[in-house]
Amino acid sequence: MSKCFALMGWSLPVIESMQKTGKPFVVVSFPDFEPYAKENNIPFLSYPLNEWSDTSNSWDLHEKLKAFNVDVAVPLFEETVEWAGALNSIYRDDPRVLNRAFLFRNKAIMKRKALIGGLRVGLFEEIYNREDVKKFMKRLNEANLQLEGESDSWVHIKPFASAGTVGHRLLRSFDDIDNKVEDGDFPCLAESHLSGSEFSCEGFVHKGKLRWLNITEYVRLGHSNFIPEGNYLHEKRSKIWEMNQKMIDIFGIEFGMVHPEWFLDENDNLNFGETACRIPGGHILELASKAYDFDALAAFVMAHDPSLTEEEFDAMFPPKDARPENFYGNVMIYPRKDKIEKLEIPQELQEEPYFLDHNLVPPLTTQKINSREGFGNHFGTVNFKGEDPDRMRELLLHYDDVDFYI
Amino acid sequence: MNESNTNTLMIETPEQVYTNFEESLDQFKTATDLTKLQKATSMMSQVEQLSHTHRGLEFLFEKCLELEDAGIFKDTVWEFPQKQVPSLVKGTLLSGHPNSSFEILSELRILSYALGKDGRTHISSNESKSFLEEAVVHNLEFAYDELTEATRLKITPQERRKLVNHFQFLLSKAELNGIKERLVEEIKMICEQRPVVTQNVRNLIQTTYQKLVLDEKSEIDNKLQYYVDAIYFPAPIVKRYQKFGNYKKALARANKETLEIEATVMGNYLHETGLTNPYLAMLLCFLMEKNPVLVNNLLHLNSKGISEWERYRDVARELALKTFSEFNHAGIYGFKGILEKSLFSRRAVRAGLTNLKHISIHPEVERRILKSVMEPSEKVLAKQYLMGAVIGILGQPTGVGQGNNPTCQSARGISMWAQHTPAELINMITIVTSTNNLVLRFENHELESMKLVKGLVGELDHNLDAVSVVLIPHLDKIYNEMMNRSSNRGDDPHRWTNPAFYGSLVPVGFASPYSYLTKRIENFRNFIRLFYNVFHPLYNGGRELVYPIPVGIFITTSKGDMLGFHAVSLLRVAQNKKNNEYRAYFLNPNNEGRQDWGQNIRPSVYDNGEKHGESSLPFYQFIARAYAFHFNNLIAENQNEPVPEEEIEKVEKLAKESWGRSYQWSN
Repeated sequence: MSKCFALMGWSLPVIESMQKTGKPFVVVSFPDFEPYAKENNIPFLSYPLNEWSDTSNSWDLHEKLKAFNVDVAVPLFEETVEWAGALNSIYRDDPRVLNRAFLFRNKAIMKRKALIGGLRVGLFEEIYNREDVKKFMKRLNEANLQLEGESDSWVHIKPFASAGTVGHRLLRSFDDIDNKVEDGDFPCLAESHLSGSEFSCEGFVHKGKLRWLNITEYVRLGHSNFIPEGNYLHEKRSKIWEMNQKMIDIFGIEFGMVHPEWFLDENDNLNFGETACRIPGGHILELASKAYDFDALAAFVMAHDPSLTEEEFDAMFPPKDARPENFYGNVMIYPRKDKIEKLEIPQELQEEPYFLDHNLVPPLTTQKINSREGFGNHFGTVNFKGEDPDRMRELLLHYDDVDFYI
Repeated sequence: MNESNTNTLMIETPEQVYTNFEESLDQFKTATDLTKLQKATSMMSQVEQLSHTHRGLEFLFEKCLELEDAGIFKDTVWEFPQKQVPSLVKGTLLSGHPNSSFEILSELRILSYALGKDGRTHISSNESKSFLEEAVVHNLEFAYDELTEATRLKITPQERRKLVNHFQFLLSKAELNGIKERLVEEIKMICEQRPVVTQNVRNLIQTTYQKLVLDEKSEIDNKLQYYVDAIYFPAPIVKRYQKFGNYKKALARANKETLEIEATVMGNYLHETGLTNPYLAMLLCFLMEKNPVLVNNLLHLNSKGISEWERYRDVARELALKTFSEFNHAGIYGFKGILEKSLFSRRAVRAGLTNLKHISIHPEVERRILKSVMEPSEKVLAKQYLMGAVIGILGQPTGVGQGNNPTCQSARGISMWAQHTPAELINMITIVTSTNNLVLRFENHELESMKLVKGLVGELDHNLDAVSVVLIPHLDKIYNEMMNRSSNRGDDPHRWTNPAFYGSLVPVGFASPYSYLTKRIENFRNFIRLFYNVFHPLYNGGRELVYPIPVGIFITTSKGDMLGFHAVSLLRVAQNKKNNEYRAYFLNPNNEGRQDWGQNIRPSVYDNGEKHGESSLPFYQFIARAYAFHFNNLIAENQNEPVPEEEIEKVEKLAKESWGRSYQWSN
């Protein structure tokens, strides 16, 4: 059993889950959280995680964490992944752990590793300016045997190291490159569009073996998803399990959780998008907890513990072949108008049997919304629960389109 | 007009909601403080969903004490049922989810206590019933599904259904026998203040008339009937001829004795309640032409009023006939006031009123005037509504209110000018009405309101008298500009702004214990001592206050916590005949008769020697909430009669333990 977990990053739900397990932990995060932590008896170490310098680095942090007897670091957020990697490489006396952390923090390196390992990835390249994007799209068009008058092949550009969909732009034409791209976007990763339905996995790994898998069905990237996966994806489960294991082998992941995004095309091929190893966005672990009736946040943390036996590890999870009766989904609400004044919950939602709850609150008097291509923080979430995944999908698509803020 | 088929608006809550709720509740109970707030928000969305149907309310009612026990109200304003304020209920409900959902749940919880159930807080059944009765009184329009126009415009049919369900649920479960009593109290309290704007109390009386069954054997019901009569049946001929046309004909036919009785009975109602009605206007106009002496009875004039009416009959009559009619009668009580204050005797006032009658109204101003009238009649010109309001304000200066706007400074100005410089006020109204602009001088600058952009008010709530609606947009901007120009001078900007804004009535001396330099409360005892030496007759050489003094006060919650700042005018300091205690009598533009400022400081509006429209507090309690006042420093220098230390300590303690907790103190 681990002596103490270092939770890298501040998250109240994770802290609460850990408190309930009774296992020792300490939260490492910015000084702003210290007063609250003190008031609520949360073991806390304040650290400037946004700084890397002579005085603020993993060796220094390692020293400070000795007071707490920490022997495992758990990354909660994207920006804490390398910190956790650095610490764990010390704890496990294995420098490659740190390198692996960097894999997750640079999408270009990640893709190259995947390619070398034999996963299906699209065309990708590191891009430094607008011209490069155009050349990339041109090469893609050529490769796709584009005829005169046919539309361009879609190109995605993403920052190397951002979480989820932050800064992600979809370019459908050369005009889009002119209009949507900004100078501040570079350097970035350009990728060809991967066709197929997108979904994510949350795979829990122990000694390099995938022990438990959740599949999250995406309805609209960054907006809505549900757990467990619908019937079609469910049929492909063993294939998906296999591919995840393959990815884990390629990346050399030993402990913790992986959160890869895959595209399943019509020919049943799985294309690899990208992967992360911190807590997924979209409230995925919350949905998983409800659907499978276990504490997924606690399991996430403890899955990082190298000293667990296989039995102990498996005991934290539902059975491998568990298939819940109810599907839990959500829609993340972003105001669609520039100026919003009121919150209005539509009557049809109040009458919807699948509606579970929401946490939307009225705007502060009249609020202006910053419009950004890409995704900002959502205003709140509407949750659903029901037995038919197709109906769930329908509902999530529909309510994604409704104006809650007017 | 009111009853659309609201059954078609019924929301059908799915069965799942009940099981989902149980699950959420289980999770909520096991949540620690870390995620409680987050989970409460989600729970409230289910509470909201349930509150749409009767069955849902029933379910919530069963669960509400369990929810309270699990901590749903913790760290919210609904935490303590004893501290809930009935007059705030309506605003909370109208503000929508999540506040409205919390409010509904909170009231169901209080209902449980009213029925004798036991929960984690110790509010008695009687206290609970009291609160519910008052809340119902403030929300009669929902309780009886008789919405006012103003409310109907603010909410959707679903929200209306929800609120009506809620109040009808409360009434169906509890024997709220005290409602009528509360209703009478509320009506009386409003009437005692003789407000210029009477829409709220009229709504209460209207609902009473239309929906409640009154039993003449009951004392309380009789009191309610009295108010109903004051508006609907104020005299014998009215009782027989309610249609306006028929009433006028009946007047023409009536003999002198009958008319005298009619005028006297109606005059009594007017004098006792301050409420006007269409028949009053018709009778007034009739008597002014046909039997002027009876006007004394109709307006229940005192001797000054009688002699004023005698001397200035022509001027007064012309003004009244041009202004009042069965469709515009609200200012008649003010008209009585003008006569009794002998305002027509002042040439400047007469001239001013004549000028006002002759100007043409700026279209923007006209629009505002009409917006302030609940149901404008095509038979009344905007000018007539305005004149009615001018008469109202001049006759009832302490009846000026700020309505639902943060414009207490401007409101107290209008009141002050109406009381002491009426001709100047009329002049200001004339200028603004014709030009939609106003210029006031501040130090060596002229501040022109049209050139200023910002006031405190964004969108003015037009439930105000027509004069305020015309003036406030300008006054507010100018006041704000004066405050801006007075900032960064190392002291409270009010020091310079108030004398400039209100005029020479307000002395330039200014006292405030808050130091802008040290950002602390300094020399609070001296502040208290000065206040006693300037205003208290026992310590200021027996002097009386002549002009209103602007006083800034801290508004505190019923727990004594600092809430914000407010502007009032100190009008008099005198002994309460009941117990000889010295009280401070002041104008509070927010007209909230029943405020609880904590530490037993509860301003009253009648029964403690108040003149109509005054609020009052024991002197030491008033100063315990003051943060600034003006005074004449020349006179004050000569006052050093010793003020007892215990008195000063008493005040200081009250201050330190309430708003004082939000400040640093120097000693």
